Amino acid sequence: MIKIKFIPYEIVRDDFKKVMRALQREALVLIDAKLNPEEEADLIKNTMEKFSEQFTGIELSSIEAPELGNVDKFKNLLVERLTGKKRGFTIIGPAGIVRKIKKNPQELLVYM
Amino acid sequence: MAFKGLKKLLDRISSLFKKKGELKIGLYGPVNSGKTTLANKICKDWLGEDMGKASIVPHETREIQTKENVKIERDGKSLTFNLVDTPGIATRIDFEDFVKFGMGKKKAKSRAKEATKGVIESIKWLDNMDMVLVVVDSTRDPLTQVNLTILGNLDARGVPFLIVANKADLKQSQLKRVEEAFQNYRTVGISARTGHRLENLYDAVLETV
Repeated sequence: MIKIKFIPYEIVRDDFKKVMRALQREALVLIDAKLNPEEEADLIKNTMEKFSEQFTGIELSSIEAPELGNVDKFKNLLVERLTGKKRGFTIIGPAGIVRKIKKNPQELLVYM
Repeated sequence: MAFKGLKKLLDRISSLFKKKGELKIGLYGPVNSGKTTLANKICKDWLGEDMGKASIVPHETREIQTKENVKIERDGKSLTFNLVDTPGIATRIDFEDFVKFGMGKKKAKSRAKEATKGVIESIKWLDNMDMVLVVVDSTRDPLTQVNLTILGNLDARGVPFLIVANKADLKQSQLKRVEEAFQNYRTVGISARTGHRLENLYDAVLETV
């Protein structure tokens, strides 16, 4: 059995505590946005700080929502500017469970 | 008291000027992509000495290493900079990787812990760089999360960078795959081990800074 925990981006944006707690409890984490590069780097830093014999790291990957035209593009840009939230999703798995996540480019392959 | 304050202010001003003059070029990339081999090659070419110990054991570089006043000269152009070799960035660290190379369990565990600190340091140092050479292994899939995170962060910080597709001397090297993966960025294929096409990298550095 694999537990998948949904954590809204609005919570993640402030800090990764909830994400780290879920990962350390061997759950996969699903976030309803694509993390920006600084957030990804922050997540890696947090992961390394929590490193232990039981928690050896993470695998993560994100997919950006496809833009279906100029109106869609404009709408996404506006939402991103106003909320900082990039449409898409991010999946993070503890290294003890997820071997690899491959991006393919509009789907993610999670190898256990 | 007033003199002390004035001295502090003057020290601050002089350190600001000093920092401006010291250009830092960082070597970033995933573990075992050949950053230290490249750092050694650059130092050997321009200073006549090595920078650090390169190894096939992952996370051999666990601390930031700097070589000051590296001066490269090509076709009348020159550039002096501090070369910064950083520990490889990873999202996971396996004890078993060290055990595979003959390390005892206890040593492997402490090595892994040191490696985590190295990753954190590398990320922190991103803000100090004036230019970065992102060293990727051209025999492996370039579209990894670590590579994407590094490139994304450099882009977001506005730090100029070059992608160095290393290990181009190996049969399994696929330079085209790296170029196609990062079409919007400049890629230079080299072999840090043999020195193959290093002159192209030096030219690109002089053009990019």
